[in-house]
Amino acid sequence: MGKRVLLCDDEIHILRAAEFKLKRAGYEVRVASDGEEGWELIQQEMPDLVVTDCQMPRLDGLGLIARAREHETTRELPFFMLTAKGLELSHADLAERLNVLGVISKPFSPRDLLRSIDEVLQPAAASG
Amino acid sequence: MKSFCGCTFTAVFAFVLASASAVAWFVHLFVTPLTWSLGVGAFVAAMGAAIAAAVLSADRTRPVRDAFGRYLNELSQSDSHTFCDPSETPMPRQLERSSWREVADELRRMLTEMGNRVRELETTRSAQEIRSRRALDETERLRSILANLGDPVLVVNGYDEVSLANPAAESLFSFHLEGAEQRALAGLVRCQQLVDLLLTTNHRETSGRRTDEIEIHDDAGNVHWYRATACRLPLFREGKSAQETGGQGTVVVLRDVDREKTLQKRNAEFVSSVSHEMKTPLAGIKAYVELLADGDADDEETQEEFLNVIDTQADRLQRLVENLLNLARIEAGVVSVNKNHRSLNEILEEASQVVQPAAEAKSIKLCVELSPLYLGVYADRDMLLQSAINLLSNAVKYTQEGGKVTLRSRAVDDMIVYEVEDTGVGLSEEDSQRVFEKFYRVKKDKDMAQGTGLGLPLAKHIVEDVHGGTLSLESKLGVGSKFTAAFPTAGTMS
Repeated sequence: MGKRVLLCDDEIHILRAAEFKLKRAGYEVRVASDGEEGWELIQQEMPDLVVTDCQMPRLDGLGLIARAREHETTRELPFFMLTAKGLELSHADLAERLNVLGVISKPFSPRDLLRSIDEVLQPAAASG
Repeated sequence: MKSFCGCTFTAVFAFVLASASAVAWFVHLFVTPLTWSLGVGAFVAAMGAAIAAAVLSADRTRPVRDAFGRYLNELSQSDSHTFCDPSETPMPRQLERSSWREVADELRRMLTEMGNRVRELETTRSAQEIRSRRALDETERLRSILANLGDPVLVVNGYDEVSLANPAAESLFSFHLEGAEQRALAGLVRCQQLVDLLLTTNHRETSGRRTDEIEIHDDAGNVHWYRATACRLPLFREGKSAQETGGQGTVVVLRDVDREKTLQKRNAEFVSSVSHEMKTPLAGIKAYVELLADGDADDEETQEEFLNVIDTQADRLQRLVENLLNLARIEAGVVSVNKNHRSLNEILEEASQVVQPAAEAKSIKLCVELSPLYLGVYADRDMLLQSAINLLSNAVKYTQEGGKVTLRSRAVDDMIVYEVEDTGVGLSEEDSQRVFEKFYRVKKDKDMAQGTGLGLPLAKHIVEDVHGGTLSLESKLGVGSKFTAAFPTAGTMS
């Protein structure tokens, strides 16, 4: 059974592209259109990694990560941020304060997104 | 002969006394120049007495004595200007032939010299009075300029005390310098950043100005931004050392830059929003192009799906750029406006036809209830059409399937009005207030339809800035919204 990845984004076409790429690579993918929905999915079925947009309705990406860090079970859950925001997001702050693995800027390459996820979830395969 | 000699002695003695009194008077003259003529008069009178005593002793000199007396009398009644011109007080003929002539000549020469000196002093005094009056006028003028200056101005002396503050500065920092017991800068000015700027400028070796943007909190706790320009003052008291004058001192002028700061912030937010809104469709295009190029789409159906996404996102990008350009042009006033007398109903009819297919796709009933009257507006047809299309398509987007959108027109008093009413999702009070902001999109409704967040701000600009009308909104969450555009009438007829 493949590793589970949760994708959170309010742009359906972005979700679809990322989901398509990851599924073809053998990942089990869940999608959510905002942070609240994402948090519900995390609680239902713990993913191995989460990729989240920053700006979303109801609960944004930063709120979702902050909430995850408050809970024992999700404190170490790996997060990537996929965002169109530029310098207004401090990558160093995200890494230090919220333990975010990395920020992938939109427009993004599904190929690069897959490679980043592979490096975390399948390090041996990624290096090989 | 003996008697003559005695009289001569008396005369010489009187002359000396007269001279002494003259000298005393002219000394006095320097102190109070206005009394010079009295001095001259006293001198001449004393001189006259002396000489009269001399001439009284010799009857044979009576004609000369009389002439001399008259001459002295004439001189005593003259003013200083007369002495400078001998033709004004010509010497009597009797004196020209006698031995008294030398005395008269000497007397005349002394008076002339003194007269000249008095005139010089008068000229000097007048010039000084003019300079002094000018300086006073200039000081008063500068004081008035400073008092009426809207920008706060503070002057700090070499002991870091506030030595001058205009009313704007006193008001900003809530102090009154006149009568203040404590004048220390740090005690009066409650802005550490400004205090630091003044202290640094006041105590450094080099001159030149320093500028800093500072944040000042008013009594109500509101933040105001000022650009502070401080520079050292030159030593302005002649002959005094820096210690005696309290050092050179520093002046600072504060310029209110609140508006500038707000604009900067708004511009940064705008650029950030534009960038974000452009990146989102671009992200879709790039991702799907890559998936196709990598051969990830195996079947034809998936390929078509991906191509459709690319097409949709390219359209979205194009709409965004067009709206952005239109908005920028209207805001900058560079768009060419072609206003003419138009029929509002014709324009609204056309707008409803443009939106009809989108309404049908969602089974939304589009009701067009136009006034039977001719409603004339003085308007740019294309722009007004654009505003109506934007309001109608917004209503269609945020109305659920099977809902209703109504377009109405009518004349109200001296205004021409059109309304777009829907039975859609409606807006909260907060969203109603922000819905005309650029790029503002109601979060909970984002999934209902794609949008740039520019359609409503553009419609507002067209109605209000281009046509001098008003665009207002009434909305109730969960019930629906009504946008009302009102224009000054250009004529109605049945």
